[in-house]
Amino acid sequence: MSDDNFDELLAQSIRDYNAPGAIPREEMWQRIQAARAARKGVPPLPAAPAKRRMFGAPVWIGAAAAAALVLSVGVVIGRRVERNRAPAVAAAQPTVQATNTESTTVAKGPEAPPVSDRDSIVAAIRHETQHTAQRARELASAAPAPRAAGNADETRALAYHLVVMQHLAGSEAMITAFRSAARRGAMDAQLASWSRDLLSTTRLLETSPAVIQDPTMRRLLEDLDLVISQIAQYTTRGQINSDDLDLIEQSIDKRGVMEKLRSLPVGNAPVGT
Amino acid sequence: MTDTSRLHDRLLITRCLAGDSLAERALYDAHVERVYRLMHRMAGDADLAADFTQETFIRAFERLEQYRGDSSLGTWLHTIAVSVALNGMRKVKRLHGRTEAIDNVPEIAIQPHGLTGDLRTRLFAAVDALSEKLRPVFVMHDVEGYTHDEIATTLGIPVGTSKARLFDARAKLRLALAAFAGDHIA
Repeated sequence: MSDDNFDELLAQSIRDYNAPGAIPREEMWQRIQAARAARKGVPPLPAAPAKRRMFGAPVWIGAAAAAALVLSVGVVIGRRVERNRAPAVAAAQPTVQATNTESTTVAKGPEAPPVSDRDSIVAAIRHETQHTAQRARELASAAPAPRAAGNADETRALAYHLVVMQHLAGSEAMITAFRSAARRGAMDAQLASWSRDLLSTTRLLETSPAVIQDPTMRRLLEDLDLVISQIAQYTTRGQINSDDLDLIEQSIDKRGVMEKLRSLPVGNAPVGT
Repeated sequence: MTDTSRLHDRLLITRCLAGDSLAERALYDAHVERVYRLMHRMAGDADLAADFTQETFIRAFERLEQYRGDSSLGTWLHTIAVSVALNGMRKVKRLHGRTEAIDNVPEIAIQPHGLTGDLRTRLFAAVDALSEKLRPVFVMHDVEGYTHDEIATTLGIPVGTSKARLFDARAKLRLALAAFAGDHIA
């Protein structure tokens, strides 16, 4: 075999040598975080439960219907926040604003949109987020349905699906609210607890049966996990930092999180079933 | 390495050292893909590659204050990664005795068109059997496309040594495959 022929064959074939598949980016990051936290003796951010659990059916029929009803509302009001703010953003001067975690009062900038409107929207979505988190926890901890339950599996799957969809709607609303506050140069203290609640729910849902069987949804939740985690850390610190905001924006853009959330077939959700 | 990327590295490291978790994640995101790819090429196993990659970043974050900026952050990370992989592979080999000498690879039937599946298997086995000095250079250069400068810095060897090792690696592969490929691929 001539050197030239050998080199050519080598170049053609060697690229398949131990070729890597998909990179388990999020799994590795979570393990790195856990290992470092363990060495430092610091608890990491809320982790997903190690064990999947099944849940009972009948009680979730009502929950599913409720989840579906608020799903559309959550998405609509989340997007409304952004639309309402758009005209004001250009004129607003960067000002540091602080809100009380317990109340929804926001310090008003010179060109800010009506505070009552914005706050009532945020408070409504925040309220729904808490309900979603509660439903997700109950779903995860409920006992398996009896075999005689007939179509219990389908009902459970539907209930889980609707909770996931509702969670995604709440996440979109929170990210939108965060970006909107960031554009105003504001720091909304409500976002810290809101984002941490969403992060816990995200991690709970990441191991749910409905998500595990849906690779697209799983990837979306992994992306959300990262973005919400960044927002939770940023808002918990409570200090405006343009470099951190850039990193969060990069994460959102790089993973196309908002595009994916907005492309969800919300209109086709089986409302009321 | 450009001034901009050096500045970016410096900024990231400063923020990481200050305990900024967003910067840590940004550092991870910027380098994890290339590190994981190399680890997978060297380990040939997804779980091992993930273990080596994780250990690389854990060590990197622990030792970040030791980074002097003589090379790029990526090269520095790769130095840790290659060290982790080589040590890890030694342990794996000791545990499983999985090193397979070229002579032990099953005989294959030669087919007349190009590099057949069997011959490719033979090639991959031959790369596996390269020595600990030659294999990293070959994998980094011919498989992953690193430059000799990058390899030399990562492995802590002169550029000339990197070139010489690549030459030796190719020669051994040629020798290992010649008897099987023969005139069919000449």
